Amino acid sequence: MSGLLTQEFTVNMGPHHPSTHGVCRLILTMDGEKVVKIEPVIGYLHRSMEKICENRTYAQCVPLMDRFEYVTAMSAEYVFVNAVEKLAEIEVPERAEYLRVIMLELNRIASHLIFYGATAMDIGALTPFIYGLRERELIIDLFEMTCGQRLTYNYMKIGGVSHDIPKEFIPKCREAVKIIGEKMSDYEGLLNENPIWLARTKNVGVLPTDLAKAYGVSGPVLRASGVKYDIRKNDPYSIYDRFDFNIPCRHNGDSYDRYLLRLDEIRESLKIIIQALDGLPEGDTLKKVNPFNFKPPAGEMYSRIENSRGEMGVYIISDGTTKPLRVKMRGSSYNHVQVLPKVATGVLIADLVATFATLDVIMPEVDR
Amino acid sequence: MGIIKKLPVYSEKIPGGGLVLTSLDAIFNYSRACSVWYLLFGTACCAIELMCTGAARYDFDRLGMIFRATPRQADVIIVAGTITKKFAPRLRRLYDQMAEPRYIIAMGGCTVNGGPFYYDCYSVEKGIDHIVPVDVYIPGCPPRPESLLEGCLHLQKKIKTQTISDWQEK
Amino acid sequence: MTGDELKEYIVGHLEGKLKPLESGKHDPLFEVQESDLLTVAQVLRDDENLKFDFLSCISGVDTGERFEIVYSLASLANNLRIDLKVVLSREKPEVESVQEIWPAANWYEREIWELYGFDIKNHGNLTRFLLADDWDQGYPMRKDWDAPDFVRFPELER
Repeated sequence: MSGLLTQEFTVNMGPHHPSTHGVCRLILTMDGEKVVKIEPVIGYLHRSMEKICENRTYAQCVPLMDRFEYVTAMSAEYVFVNAVEKLAEIEVPERAEYLRVIMLELNRIASHLIFYGATAMDIGALTPFIYGLRERELIIDLFEMTCGQRLTYNYMKIGGVSHDIPKEFIPKCREAVKIIGEKMSDYEGLLNENPIWLARTKNVGVLPTDLAKAYGVSGPVLRASGVKYDIRKNDPYSIYDRFDFNIPCRHNGDSYDRYLLRLDEIRESLKIIIQALDGLPEGDTLKKVNPFNFKPPAGEMYSRIENSRGEMGVYIISDGTTKPLRVKMRGSSYNHVQVLPKVATGVLIADLVATFATLDVIMPEVDR
Repeated sequence: MGIIKKLPVYSEKIPGGGLVLTSLDAIFNYSRACSVWYLLFGTACCAIELMCTGAARYDFDRLGMIFRATPRQADVIIVAGTITKKFAPRLRRLYDQMAEPRYIIAMGGCTVNGGPFYYDCYSVEKGIDHIVPVDVYIPGCPPRPESLLEGCLHLQKKIKTQTISDWQEK
Repeated sequence: MTGDELKEYIVGHLEGKLKPLESGKHDPLFEVQESDLLTVAQVLRDDENLKFDFLSCISGVDTGERFEIVYSLASLANNLRIDLKVVLSREKPEVESVQEIWPAANWYEREIWELYGFDIKNHGNLTRFLLADDWDQGYPMRKDWDAPDFVRFPELER
């Protein structure tokens, strides 16, 4: 191929694109089919949530945290409510803690099912999308039975949860867990040994361990690169220290490992839900605080949890009034989009799509 | 397409000419309404409900609606999600790239008038109807898939009341 | 080590440069002078018992009277967590970039520059980030910012 005069050209993988998981713009400089330089441009979904939270009471901020990360809205609400309860030193009833863990783990499974469907669709397989969303409907039915909403729940309240579960919840939840456990073999059978899938994802987008730690990458992406760190075990919050579950960890750091790791995590979450259902105590579900006049003492703290995408955190500064002084939201996708140019430069454009899909990025976490 | 342009003029002169145009209208409207193809467009939370509506339980395909990835092949944009001031010119550009007849469904509170981001927000467009002309508004945050399906049925009803001579002077 | 042991260890190893604050409720919070920031950050990252190699988050704060920046750090190997606070002057807020020590800081500092107006020295890429391309209305996250189409949430009568 020497002697052929080539020229680099710029391609705009624009904000509206089926594969960019929202509104992320990637300005690609290409040499033929190879990507030479990537520049992510973000801000197309900047809804100024942090400014809005400064003019709302603490109870009014919770539905806004739902929209911060809508695929796992329970985790987003929980991280805020956890920070406020620690600042104000409120003791949450036992039954509320168990219900919170059940909802958080169900939400994690729902998010991984969407990951499964959307990643497969990006790489070209359309059937897993329908399979994943079909099982997710079982989980959404459980949420709708409890709090009435399918996507943005407003379920966690400062001091507990807003509704107790109805009596049909427990048998339906056990049945949903059983069905999802059986369907996992379908999901794996479709893609794991598929030669097209292996060719598209094995050794594609390798993220070395020290690069991952330096760029603040967390969650399944970090665990697929060999670092066995999970906030549920290393820095436990809520009642996670009472449950028995493993942390899966893989060492290659490529897209195939990231995909397999999330399927392993679904299995671990199913175990946690069964243990929580078996140990659910009786009692009340909310320690009521006055939502209009709630004034936590002055102080600041950073609360973080293990979301399905990585570490999600909220830094709250309270000055003793009914409204917070500063609410800084930290989403894991922000760091993942930042590390994308380091991981996907020098590859073909199809590999860029596969890498971006398995990083599991969601744009409201990036733009807020 | 010369005959289509001249047909209303000729059928005015034919006695009972309205009947010819009405039957042609019925055929065109029926075919257009039963196969409205939507653009894969989703910005925020409503996009997940749009995906769920297209999936197995609430099926879009039974109304004849399938997704297309490019606006050149789409009939309707279901604007699902918040539109910010940074994104607004791109939405207008997508709308301009569609071929007529084209429609817009505004899904969710954010596209109707800003939704939960109306107060204290410096970067959100409060409603999309000053960027693109909207045909159907669907309120909700996010609207249930059944609401979205009803909105699409309203759009089908609206399409069935149109006549092909509407698109002449545009 | 526990929270108090960690506080003593850090204050002992960086004499005079750190001051523990009472307002940090859950994890230790230290205040650092802007001129000492890089030396303190280097020690925190490289010390064998600390190894704070994971930068979680950088937040800009406007309390109405003064500007602050808060760095939230974590140690993956030793399971520790602290926060560092730097107070900036109101007239000329500027701080050194820490991206040589934690490369994750690049985008966080760019965001603080854009929304608060703090000057980050030695950053290299302070360009338009989250706001619209033709934004010319100042620094929106400051408490005294206002604009003609900015509608405040009305106070409810209780």
